[in-house]
Amino acid sequence: MSAPAAPTQAPPAPLEVQEPELDESVGTDRPWLVIVWNDPVNLMSYVVYVLQKLFGYSREKATRLMLEVHHDGKAVVSDGSREKAEADVARLHANGLWATMEHSA
Amino acid sequence: MTPRFAKKRDGRIDLTLERAEADLIEGLPEQLLALYEGERTDPARQRLFPRAYLDPTEEEAETQWEALVHPDLLAGRLAALEQLRGSLAGAEPGRRDRIVVHIQPDDVNAWLSVLNDARLALASRLGVSEDTDLMELDPSDPESAGKAAYAWLTYLQGELVETLLGDLPG
Repeated sequence: MSAPAAPTQAPPAPLEVQEPELDESVGTDRPWLVIVWNDPVNLMSYVVYVLQKLFGYSREKATRLMLEVHHDGKAVVSDGSREKAEADVARLHANGLWATMEHSA
Repeated sequence: MTPRFAKKRDGRIDLTLERAEADLIEGLPEQLLALYEGERTDPARQRLFPRAYLDPTEEEAETQWEALVHPDLLAGRLAALEQLRGSLAGAEPGRRDRIVVHIQPDDVNAWLSVLNDARLALASRLGVSEDTDLMELDPSDPESAGKAAYAWLTYLQGELVETLLGDLPG
């Protein structure tokens, strides 16, 4: 992610993209996790806005998740059944966030 | 200085643009349309339509999910392009040869979506990374125009997001 920038400035502090880890566990009763990955393009403020808008999170929670993405490369932003996770991933993709889903360990 | 985005009492947002800036925005729908309807193997397109599952053992679920979701995602993106075109068609002359675009409340998210997709696509084409220097553009760099456009779109989207964050719970 990058912070908003004036036209003459570089979008500051984009972060490295980490290669996602594969979750090889299987099962049916564990929730699916929806993960947002860091990328060098999406603005920090935009990620907060999207998380608030899509999930109804408070500014504080959305900011905490955004910072987790920013600093750790990824964050779990929601969880639930496979169907819910698939719908959440689709909504995140519609808003240009890089999201995937995996079974919780 | 006139604010870029000015919220009006009826909920619309007025965007003030220089002529050259309006030209840049007006060119986005055609470029994005070509991308949306282009090769699925194009990395820029793949960034806009990423996989849901990384686990290779979920390939069947991925295929089903894409068949279900991608047509809707594409339709939403095409609709956003039309909404942006509609806003631009209703633009009015502003002061000092500027152009004022009236973005109606129902079209705000379309604008945000188009700006973000344009940035994601440009970043993919330009190979933007955390190390890309957009502050010191070299005019002899064949990609300097693209980088300048990317930097300006980044600024514009940031301004719009700040305007919209004010409407959400702090």
